[in-house]
Amino acid sequence: MPDELALLQNYLVVGAILFAVGLIGFLVRRNMIVMFLCAEMMLQGVSVSLVAWGRYHNDWGGQMLTIFIITVAACEAGIGLALILMLVQASGRLDIAFWQDVREEGQPAFVDHAVPEERAEDRVWPRLTPSGIEPVVDQDELSHRSRV
Amino acid sequence: MTHVPALLARTADFDWRSFVASPLCWALLAGAVGIWLMLPGGGSRVRVAGSLIAAVGLGLLGSLLPQLGDLSTQILFWILAGLTAISAVATISMRSPVYCAIWFALTLLTTAGLFLLQGAQFLGVATMVVYAGAILVTFLFVLMLAQPEGHAYYDRISWGRFAPAVATIAAIIIVGGLTHILTNLDEHSLPHAAAAAVNENRVIHEQHVAKLGGQLFSRHLVSVEVAGTLLLVALVGAIAIVIQGKEKRATDAQARQMAASPGGSSDA
Repeated sequence: MPDELALLQNYLVVGAILFAVGLIGFLVRRNMIVMFLCAEMMLQGVSVSLVAWGRYHNDWGGQMLTIFIITVAACEAGIGLALILMLVQASGRLDIAFWQDVREEGQPAFVDHAVPEERAEDRVWPRLTPSGIEPVVDQDELSHRSRV
Repeated sequence: MTHVPALLARTADFDWRSFVASPLCWALLAGAVGIWLMLPGGGSRVRVAGSLIAAVGLGLLGSLLPQLGDLSTQILFWILAGLTAISAVATISMRSPVYCAIWFALTLLTTAGLFLLQGAQFLGVATMVVYAGAILVTFLFVLMLAQPEGHAYYDRISWGRFAPAVATIAAIIIVGGLTHILTNLDEHSLPHAAAAAVNENRVIHEQHVAKLGGQLFSRHLVSVEVAGTLLLVALVGAIAIVIQGKEKRATDAQARQMAASPGGSSDA
C-alpha cells in the first residue's frame, strides 16, 4: 500500500532530523545540561523511527523498545544529573571545558581565545506582572510592635 | 537479506550533476548554513538571518517528501513535523539553558503528537507524562540548583570554529543520505507493508493499549523485569552518589579546619 510507505518515509526523515540536530547540539554546546538535553533529543529521534518501522511491519517490537528507551532515559537522567550536581559543587560552574584534563593523552588543551562580552540589548529578562492586592501597612506597627 | 543489496545498488549510480540540480542539495545547504549561523558564537542579527535560511531549507526538504493519503493527515503531519524541526533547532541555539529546556519540552509534545498520528496511543501519552512531565522537570530542578545568575559565558561560545562546522556537515550527511535513499526508492526495494486488518495482534487496533499490555507482559516479560531492576539500581546509585559527595565534602571541610587551627583542637 503506497500510503504506508509514504508515511514510513516521512517519519524516517523526521527521526533523522531530530537525531542530526541532537548530534550538532551535543558536539557544539558546552553547558553540561544542554548536552544532556541533546542526548535525549537523539533518543527521541530514534523513538520516532522505531514507531514508524513498527507500524510499517505490523510489529509490536518498535513500541516495546520505545517504552524501554523512555525507562532507560529516566534512569540515565537520574544518575547523570546527580553526577552533574557533584561536578558543579566541585567546580562552581556547568562548563564542561573546566574538566578537560580528562582528555586523551597527546591532545592539546582547548583555550578560550576571546569570550565575547554580552551586548546590552541581550540582557533582557522576562518580567512578571505583579498580581494580588498590596496589603495595607500600618506605619506604627512597622516601627514598634504593640503586641508580641 | 535480498533487500539490502537493492537499497545499496540505488546509490551506486550517484550523479553529481543531477544531485546539484536537485532541490535536496539546496535544502541541505540552506539548512546547514542556517543552523551554523544560529549556533552560539554569533550576534543576534546573525541568528535571525540564520533562522530564515534554515526555514527555507526546511521548506525545500519538506517539498521532497511523498504525499500522504488524505489531506487532514498531510496537514497534521506538516504542522507536527515542522514544529518538531523548528523546536529542535531552537533547543540547541538558545543562550539560556532554561529556554533550551522549554523548547525541548515543545519538541517532546510534537513528537507525542507524531506518535498519536501513528496510532501509538500509549506512547503518545507516556512521552508527555513521563518524559516531558518528569524527566524534563528534573532537568529544570537541577538548572535551578546549578545555573548561575544571568547568562553564563559558556552558553555564548563553543569549541572554537572547527567543531560547529564539522558537526553541521556530519548532520547534513546523515539527513541528506537518508532522504536521498528514501526518495529514490522503487516499489521493490523494501519488503511490502504487512497486510493490515485481519490479524488479532495487529498494531492498529481498537483496544490498542490492552493489546500492548498483553504483548509487554507476555513476550517481553524478561525485559520488563530487567527494566524494573535497572530503575531500582539507578535510584540507589543516584542516592549513593549524592551521599558520597556529601561525606567527601564533610571530610574535606574537616581537614581544612584541622589544617587551619594550628596544633589541632585539643578539646574537641
